[in-house]
Amino acid sequence: MRDCRLVSQKFEIENSYTLEVAKAHGGYKSLEKLDQLSPKQCVEIIKESGLRGKGGGGASAGDKWSLMPQDSTKPSFLVVNCDESEPGTFKDRQIISKDPHLLIEGILLTSYAIQAKHAYIYIRGEYKQFQDILQNAIDEAYDAGLLQNCDITIHRGAGAYICGEKSALLESMEGKRGHPRLKPKQKECEWYFGNPTLVNNVETIASVPYIIENGAQAYRRFGTDESPGTMLFAMSGHIEKPGVYESEFGVSMLEYIHHFGGGIKNGKKLKAVIPGGASTDVLTADEVAKATLDYETLRNMGSALGTGGMIVMDEDVSMVEALKNLLEFYHEESCGQCTPCREGTGWSDKLVEKLLRKEATKDDINKLLEVADTMNGKTICVFAPAVSTVIQSFVKKFRDEFEMKL
Amino acid sequence: MIELSVNNKTYHAQEGSLLIDLLIKENIHIPYFCYHEALGADGNCRMCMVSIQGQKRPQIACDTIVKEGMVVDTQNESIKKIRTDILELELINHPVDCPICDQAGECSLQDFYMEYGLHNSQVSIEEKVKHAKKIDLGSDVMLDQERCVLCARCTRFTEKITKTHELGIIGRGDEAKVSTFPGRKLDNPYAMNVVDLCPVGALTSKDFRFSQRVWFLQTSDSVCHGCAKGCSIYVDHNKLKYKDDVIYRFRPRRNDAVNGFFMCDEGRLSYKDLQENRQERTVLNSQDIDEEKAIENVKNLIQTHKTSIAVIIDANLYTEEIEAIVSFSNSIGANVYSPLSVYIDEGFEDDMLKSSNRAANFKSIENLGIDTSFPKAERLFINFNHPHNFSAESQVNFLTHKRNNSGLTFPLASFVESAGTLMNEDGIEQRCEKILFKNNAVPTVLEYLKRIES
Repeated sequence: MRDCRLVSQKFEIENSYTLEVAKAHGGYKSLEKLDQLSPKQCVEIIKESGLRGKGGGGASAGDKWSLMPQDSTKPSFLVVNCDESEPGTFKDRQIISKDPHLLIEGILLTSYAIQAKHAYIYIRGEYKQFQDILQNAIDEAYDAGLLQNCDITIHRGAGAYICGEKSALLESMEGKRGHPRLKPKQKECEWYFGNPTLVNNVETIASVPYIIENGAQAYRRFGTDESPGTMLFAMSGHIEKPGVYESEFGVSMLEYIHHFGGGIKNGKKLKAVIPGGASTDVLTADEVAKATLDYETLRNMGSALGTGGMIVMDEDVSMVEALKNLLEFYHEESCGQCTPCREGTGWSDKLVEKLLRKEATKDDINKLLEVADTMNGKTICVFAPAVSTVIQSFVKKFRDEFEMKL
Repeated sequence: MIELSVNNKTYHAQEGSLLIDLLIKENIHIPYFCYHEALGADGNCRMCMVSIQGQKRPQIACDTIVKEGMVVDTQNESIKKIRTDILELELINHPVDCPICDQAGECSLQDFYMEYGLHNSQVSIEEKVKHAKKIDLGSDVMLDQERCVLCARCTRFTEKITKTHELGIIGRGDEAKVSTFPGRKLDNPYAMNVVDLCPVGALTSKDFRFSQRVWFLQTSDSVCHGCAKGCSIYVDHNKLKYKDDVIYRFRPRRNDAVNGFFMCDEGRLSYKDLQENRQERTVLNSQDIDEEKAIENVKNLIQTHKTSIAVIIDANLYTEEIEAIVSFSNSIGANVYSPLSVYIDEGFEDDMLKSSNRAANFKSIENLGIDTSFPKAERLFINFNHPHNFSAESQVNFLTHKRNNSGLTFPLASFVESAGTLMNEDGIEQRCEKILFKNNAVPTVLEYLKRIES
């Protein structure tokens, strides 16, 4: 496996979170490039690089940037999404605690490209200790005069998973209840208090300095044609060495698990992997053997790369209990705006609980699938569709385990 | 205008308008909870799903803008199945306490269930999420959180219409519920409109609840007489056998030219005045007097004081009544007045619907050129229900409500017991029909005049 550290290059260095150490190891060097680049050219470079949003959706970051008006009469804003709440996902906190200056550097480049004078970092409330590190880094950057063209403010969330959804995040930042907004009728940027706004994940922004400094083609040397570059993949669960390890796209999932994770814990057999945070379809061991870590392959397998946070489960795991664990989370976190999600997450949780109590009938399993179907594609945001496919993949791929509970 | 097809029929709609508005206007059945023409789309209930050709997934009509050539289907089997499924989810945590719910009979949830549901409950009462069932929000509004479908109409009303922001939704998922903010009450002059807005029995009127089953009520159109705005209203009343017709509530009636969808709480509760403290007998200085004899007395008084009579008119009477009084006054050579200052109530006015002029038909008084100052001293005053108490050597009063006054007093029909036209402060005319038929009918102005003139 090729070693490629574009975002995590300073993670192992002692005191990498300080400005002094960051600068000694090449921090903020990419800013020099801006003398020769217009904002529009920056957007073009990102477009050419094929950088994809690392928050889970995987849409082209360059396309998203192009939606920002270059000649807006209203102020433009950059919002960095650090509401990392997806179960099994813990990559952004590595960036803000190990190399916060890389994020600040990325923010300065991105703000220049979209002509924003103020950037916000929306951080989940539970990340207080990481927020402190990040705030120190921002203070250092202010003191060093790095933030003369762009202010950076950290906005702390109050602990709702849905606020990671970009429009709910903006509602929350506007001081309202974190409810996703109705989708716009055409492709357009986001709006923060009615002003054009770009919302990107921490890792996406942290990937920008490498691309600006080394060019789009340098980034494209890694990964596949359609999924270029690298990603901070992560592993949790029954793995010898859980953690965040950067790799290029397109590598074999199994190889990744063995190379970085040291294989399944205690030499047990692999049963299943949820590939990209909880909200992606579970893969069986057979599927894992065929999977590669890129958006296209996983989508073709009926799942998704998501946030790249793999939840690894060994042979001892009860898939019914695993699903119950996930559904409890969704039941708790559904924002309650749309009927199918508000009621469907609760009901499916209760149905699986009934299974675990061994009180369910075959009808209940069918009802569970029916509720999942009602949740799919009928809501404002993708929360309910994600829950829907999680339920369907668990029940369909491990149906015998569910029926054993009858 | 653009052309589109709904259920294989062609319709025309304004460019940029919402599909659901077209469906509502054309009476094409579409179930919905959260959408409201005054509050706009929120897209949370997901009931108004329709199929649109070329769209992979079903779309909600409230968040769909009409497009030229759009082909919409609102009634195919897959759409019906989706509505049934979503409705089932809406009901799993609903207490289904219709037998004791005030909304029964005018409840969207009930109607849609009869149409799309009709399934047995698969969730037992024990498994349902429990919430508070009797919260006094303030302003005569009661909240039952279990019945709520979280359509957010009430919260959007306090956010967008009154801008008072008293209501919000707290909690997430199936624990979400409507609530006031800690230590705050629902407290604005239009608060009770949330009762009408609520599509289910979650918000009920403290004043109306448990007083009548709505299917016993007869609904008639009328106009509120609380101020010069003249909000269009529904009067819900019920006449039990052998008993008198009783009004149970006023509700705002949509009239885009006058009040839109709403009315103020004071106007809404003003129905009570029509049934309390009414002048019921003909009296002379507080002593009962035969009506025929009293009419004779009036005629004699007019003869006696021929050259010194003032007629005073209440500016709440119907235009036809005012005109008749004016022509009667001319025939007996009396001066006509309708003192304005009595009606002015600056404290009542706001920038929504409430007017500082508390007379419903003052515009007609103005149009007829009637003197709006206080009457000069005369020997005989004939007062047609003007709220001020006048004193003169001789007095004749036609009053809807009891007051401390001397002279001859006749009971007068209230505005729901009579018919006529009103002109509001913006010059908009509205016709009111006679709604209430009492067992012992009280005469109207026109009936009295006929008898005096005969």
